[in-house]
Amino acid sequence: MKKLLFLAVKDMRVLLSDKGNIFWVFGFPVLFALFFGFMYSEAGKGPSGMKIAVVDEDKSEFSSSYISGLESDEALIVVNLNREEAIEQVRKGKVSAAVILNEGFGDGFEALFNSDEPKLEIASDPSRRMESGYLQGLLAKAQFEALGDKFADQEWLRGQIKLWRDEVGGSNALETEQSKLFLNFFDSFDTLIKDSNDGSFSAGFKGDMINFGKLDVSREYEGPISPFQITFPQVLLWGFLMCTSTFAISIVKERTDGTFDRLRIGPLGYAHILGGKGLACFITCIFIVCILFFGAKVIFKMPMGNFPLFFLGLFCTILCFVGLMMFVCTLGRTEQSVGAAGWAMLMIMGMFGGAMMPLAFMPSWLRRFSHFSPVKWGILALEGAIWRDFKFTEMISPCLVLLAIGFTFFLLGVLMLRRQDS
Amino acid sequence: MIKADNLKKRYGNIAAVDDVSFAVEKGETFGLLGPNGAGKTTTIQLLCGLLKPDGGTVSLDGKTDPSLVEVRSSLGVVPQALAIYEELSVRQNLRFFGRMYGLSGRQLNERVDDCLEIAGLNKRSNDRASKYSGGMKRRLNMVCSFLHAPPLLLLDEPTVGVDPQSRNLIFDTIETMKNQGRTIIYTTHYMEEAQRLCDRVAILDHGKILDMDSVDNLIKKHGGPSRIEAEFEKLPSPDSIKQYIDSENIQFEESKIRFETSRPMESLAMLNRSGVRFNTLKVQTANLEDVFLNLTGRRLRD
Repeated sequence: MKKLLFLAVKDMRVLLSDKGNIFWVFGFPVLFALFFGFMYSEAGKGPSGMKIAVVDEDKSEFSSSYISGLESDEALIVVNLNREEAIEQVRKGKVSAAVILNEGFGDGFEALFNSDEPKLEIASDPSRRMESGYLQGLLAKAQFEALGDKFADQEWLRGQIKLWRDEVGGSNALETEQSKLFLNFFDSFDTLIKDSNDGSFSAGFKGDMINFGKLDVSREYEGPISPFQITFPQVLLWGFLMCTSTFAISIVKERTDGTFDRLRIGPLGYAHILGGKGLACFITCIFIVCILFFGAKVIFKMPMGNFPLFFLGLFCTILCFVGLMMFVCTLGRTEQSVGAAGWAMLMIMGMFGGAMMPLAFMPSWLRRFSHFSPVKWGILALEGAIWRDFKFTEMISPCLVLLAIGFTFFLLGVLMLRRQDS
Repeated sequence: MIKADNLKKRYGNIAAVDDVSFAVEKGETFGLLGPNGAGKTTTIQLLCGLLKPDGGTVSLDGKTDPSLVEVRSSLGVVPQALAIYEELSVRQNLRFFGRMYGLSGRQLNERVDDCLEIAGLNKRSNDRASKYSGGMKRRLNMVCSFLHAPPLLLLDEPTVGVDPQSRNLIFDTIETMKNQGRTIIYTTHYMEEAQRLCDRVAILDHGKILDMDSVDNLIKKHGGPSRIEAEFEKLPSPDSIKQYIDSENIQFEESKIRFETSRPMESLAMLNRSGVRFNTLKVQTANLEDVFLNLTGRRLRD
């Protein structure tokens, strides 16, 4: 055990002797944490701003009201342009999409629901398909809200009913019984409008067309919930990825420099040498956690859910990445090849595991693929302890997956190293 | 002490070590002399258990598995490549490797100081190894293997690429180790080193031992005659010279003669007694380079 410690101390000394290493292993995760921490903090206070261009070619009262609705939405930043300018801005990627309200957009129900000749067109950036889908939802919401305003306008509604009456009355396609049925419905609707006009339904038809209630799924906490809670696990995982990559390269460096063989010639087992490297990687990860946790507490006042479970999640996650480090170092015979191959592998794991983009934004097939990434399980275990209010039984599954992945990669790494060295 | 029996190691179609056998006695300095690619490093790696042989056995004090911890504790291996941590100071390197061999406390400090003294590195022991010259790094590379005072030392070309001063210091260190009674196996492609340091030398080429004996015996067996060039104040007649010199091929050139003989000292003594007066005299005796040339038809550094 003493030798294991001496090996780890030596590795830490070597690591700390290089300023580049210090930056990438300790500094980068801190910068990453600060950047995302502040970014998410600010996101909660102001509009998140998907920038869109709106072209009003209808110039009606309804189109103005519709655009006001869009402008009041926190999720959008609206700029008013003409058609050519708007499409040009989309092409250049300066706005996510252009919404064009064609002439006749405000001509009542027929215009709104006319499927033959659309009165609203969207020109979206093909590289931002996800935002385009999101925008369509926001446009539909604004349309319903604008309609709600129209429904409160009884005069407009009566005008619409008169139009429908004339249309039904003059239609040869409907049988007498069917026409009668529609006309009766319009009479009843007219009475309803009259009642609301009399004040028996004072709110009229105005109001939210769809009213969403919001339930908080994070654990109950007495103080303010910091958005850094959400990014903290991701930041930790980035730190572990950096550490994994650095130590994997250090093993290859020892092999190319000959110090690995020198240690092998000594009275040490293979397990000792690799165990020492693993211990150094583990200790470095703990340092990263300490630095980030200190920053999270002092700068972002991050509340912590369940400490024992957090330590359990951390322990399993770090062990998993130590195992991964052992495998990554066998991906090449030079520092350059291991650096490149290892980083590519870790980046893919990070991407698919949700370290870059929340899993919820990914298509379902990609989300299924994320099960194979230890990053996903690491984030889940840490989130479970920090804010998801996981019970011990709920922590078991991500922790076991992490340990299994770590053990498998460690074993694979040791076997491949032995094979390469024999 | 150490015995190699029919060692074999192949890399694909190339036989790096081909049926190599030798035994080295306690206190002996044994040289493996051969050009680059002869199989010297592979042999050392087989002896210390870094590589597993495809055939044959290695026996160290009767134990046939060099990968055993107790066997390795008795070995000190100086690798050909610099195997030190350049990011650490010289002292930190020595302390680390000492600890790996189980040294601690006062014993560790004493051994570190001894090794710094031996290597002549005690003045800048707290400097990072990366700041040292190539020769100083070589010396550090060597003494890292002496920390635990192993009875058996395997030195794989320890003087490659070093300056003359460092080379002499390395030789002195090895001679000190030799005088302390340590068993040494030394590989080199410099015949001067093998001649100076080794009690016995094995000539290795293409993975095979061509011959193995003391340096003198090897020269006697394979070195060929010595070459002598003498310049006289006044050249005696060829006939009178031929009476004193045991050589069939004597070249005469103005006041000089050149000849080859297997008994150079006797021939020169005879000439001297004849009363001739020498202006200059050059005697080039056969050496291991000649042995290698005669055995392989190539020079050591070809």
